[in-house]
Amino acid sequence: MGEDEEPESISDERHFEEPGLSIRRTRTFKGGVHPGRNKAETSSKAVLRAPLPPVLSVPLTQHIGAPNEAVVTPGEHVELGQVIGDSGAFIAAPVHAPAAGTVEAVADVPDFRGKSALCVVIAVDSEQPGREASPRERPGGLTAERVRVVAREAGLVGMGGAAFPTHVKLTPPADKAIDTVIVNGCECEPYLTCDHRLMLERAPELVGGLRLFMRAVDARRGIIGIEADKMDAVESVRAAASSCAEVHAAALDVKFPQGSEKQLIHVLTGRDVPPGKLPSEVGCLVQNAGTAVALYEAAATGKPLYERVVTITGPLVARPGNYLARLGSPLGFLLGVAGGLAAEPARVIAGGPMTGWAQGSAQSPLVKGMSGIIALPLLPEYEREERACVRCGKCVDACPMFLLPNFIVDAVQEEEWPKAQMWGALDCFECGCCSYTCPAFIPHVRYVRSAKAALARTRE
Amino acid sequence: MPTVGKWDDSAVSPHLHERGQTIERAMLDVLIALMPAAVWAVIVFGFQAFVVMVVSVATAMLTELVMRWILGRKATLHDLSAVLTGLLLAFLLPVATPLWVVAIGSFIAVAVGKELFGGLGKNIFNPALFGRIAIMISPLFIYTTKFVKPFWWRGIGFFTPIQAFIENEGGQRIVYKTIAGTPLDAVSHATPLSLIQNGRIVVDTTTGATPVGATWLTSTGAPGHHSLFLGLRSGSIGEVSVLLLLLGGLYLIYRRTIDWRIPVGVLGGALLLFVVEWEQPLYQMLAGGLFLGAFYMATDWVTSPVTRRGKWIYAVGIGVCIGLVRLHTPWPEGVAISILTWNVLTVAIDRYTARARFGAVKKPLFNRIPPVTGSSRQTE
Repeated sequence: MGEDEEPESISDERHFEEPGLSIRRTRTFKGGVHPGRNKAETSSKAVLRAPLPPVLSVPLTQHIGAPNEAVVTPGEHVELGQVIGDSGAFIAAPVHAPAAGTVEAVADVPDFRGKSALCVVIAVDSEQPGREASPRERPGGLTAERVRVVAREAGLVGMGGAAFPTHVKLTPPADKAIDTVIVNGCECEPYLTCDHRLMLERAPELVGGLRLFMRAVDARRGIIGIEADKMDAVESVRAAASSCAEVHAAALDVKFPQGSEKQLIHVLTGRDVPPGKLPSEVGCLVQNAGTAVALYEAAATGKPLYERVVTITGPLVARPGNYLARLGSPLGFLLGVAGGLAAEPARVIAGGPMTGWAQGSAQSPLVKGMSGIIALPLLPEYEREERACVRCGKCVDACPMFLLPNFIVDAVQEEEWPKAQMWGALDCFECGCCSYTCPAFIPHVRYVRSAKAALARTRE
Repeated sequence: MPTVGKWDDSAVSPHLHERGQTIERAMLDVLIALMPAAVWAVIVFGFQAFVVMVVSVATAMLTELVMRWILGRKATLHDLSAVLTGLLLAFLLPVATPLWVVAIGSFIAVAVGKELFGGLGKNIFNPALFGRIAIMISPLFIYTTKFVKPFWWRGIGFFTPIQAFIENEGGQRIVYKTIAGTPLDAVSHATPLSLIQNGRIVVDTTTGATPVGATWLTSTGAPGHHSLFLGLRSGSIGEVSVLLLLLGGLYLIYRRTIDWRIPVGVLGGALLLFVVEWEQPLYQMLAGGLFLGAFYMATDWVTSPVTRRGKWIYAVGIGVCIGLVRLHTPWPEGVAISILTWNVLTVAIDRYTARARFGAVKKPLFNRIPPVTGSSRQTE
């Protein structure tokens, strides 16, 4: 592409100057489902600080990308916020000590994906000195390059679940101009309210973080997309953004997966990210609300990402709520902080119930990308057996990527991997709408994952 | 406090499921939707209609149970699909069909039409229509060629078991008797469609004060539009009341069990042809099994396309086919054969009408044939 030649999609000015942009509500994406919200138990309660567990198991690698190496050794004493894991690679984010303590071991601990992860195990000191704020410069005066450095040094990753290193996202390809930064405050997953609370309690920081993102990629406008069931958050963010004309808050249709990157960009800007491409292709950058707050904190006070707000909830949890917890806290400990469980759960989910991971161990630690811990009782659907597809087409109607999930499943059952790819297995982002609405209880996501794994093997 | 244990982590997301979105609930919905028409059938055609339905449903259930046992599959009677197949087959037969013919049809529908294809979900044809056509193309077809008039049981007895017998005097013909053999006179009546085909002219009024008895006929001897709409006419057990079938169909659309595009497409396609050829369009629309087929047969999940564009093509195709069969072939009715024909095309239609993926460049109207023959197992 020539230097002075603008990508065609960027020239779509229609949605730019539209004054009604911030209140656009009619526009929605095709497909999606409406699962019950189950947010009332936690959305009205202020975030509480969770106590420190006696032992933290901090996974060395909490991002998508190159793995980190431990930079501490067993027996070493670490201070709060000290770097304990890092990598020389570009696509990586360092990990910091979430508390002062002594490194007991660098060992494998069960992680939230059901595998095991190399963790720095820290015996937490009983005396915890407060962290000294160390502002290096005024956040407002940071250059684009400094914002990226701050993001990397603070170990920022996407906190909505994807956990992609933030500074990498803030470094778009040179030929892709970014004009719009979107902060994702949709929180379309049932049960989760941590971003909702952040938008209510930390709106100024969130807007500050958004403006830093905009500075980093030289974007002209920033939009905070929020589902319309959180109008209080919309008001809160609008109030915080009242002084800057280039930042809007948009109330969006309540539909899952409204917070999916491509769907969100479509709804807010009318631009469609082509298959296999990144948002930068259409001049957009999407960041999670929690990441925006964390970036502002890192810039303003030098605080690295060693704690996050996590929604601990579910019908079995005694005191459901949002807790500011240190990374590396075991899930079992955090469930205890929330009052413990009324009964043995059928599933404990890390993340949201639509896309989250069923947990195998109470020992698996909290990580940067984990937005929720949800204890669910035995639901009727957990006992249903998978039936043959009856071709009702409900998955086709629900698929926000316009795929034919039933044909992907057919192809996987026949182990016809190229066919699975042809029907779009690689375009699937595993939102789970198809399975959610399937009367035959087919686990489409499981099939898609095996297709992706098999296709990755054939590429090698 | 049970927070230290090991939990089951084998499950894959999503960890929620849409409430009430199950196969058996969908089948139950269709059964509910068919109930008014079933009750009306018993009122119009007497207790024998109920007997036919029971025999058909029971045979279907038994067949499914035995077939799945023989084939080493899990019993799935609870999903109600056999019940629905049995009931729909009964709906497609004249009330005087001998019960053993009903049982054979029901057996073929489930055993061949469904289980031998691989069970629910793998069948190519709508099982009930498959059973109906199997009777139609077999020597048994003669039993299903004549129909009794509505309320034939008045003066004879509501519970009188009626059955069609073959009589061989001067060529084969059907006579009605009680099962014990007592002849029943003057209960047969031509269906509205065969009247049309024989050139009987229709007048758009009913005469007389009540729609019951002989007054449901116009002066030409054919039932009027009102009679057709309400269900005062001869015909197969379940097809006679357009009103009640429509109500059930609207319920299914409201419940999102069926996609409105299919009945609209079928009815629209048929209407198009009737209007273009101007062959008593309204009468043609109300007569025969058009509404039964449009709302309850063409909409069968397994045998209809999953893409929206595909649904339109399939549905309008069925409608036009029905019109062509009725107007240009010796057969008076073409619903069953039209739907079965398009059942075969369903998978091909899906393949050609898949949407462009999110963000992908819009495709031409139809997809090129996707290269699906390449097998990874061969290349490995």
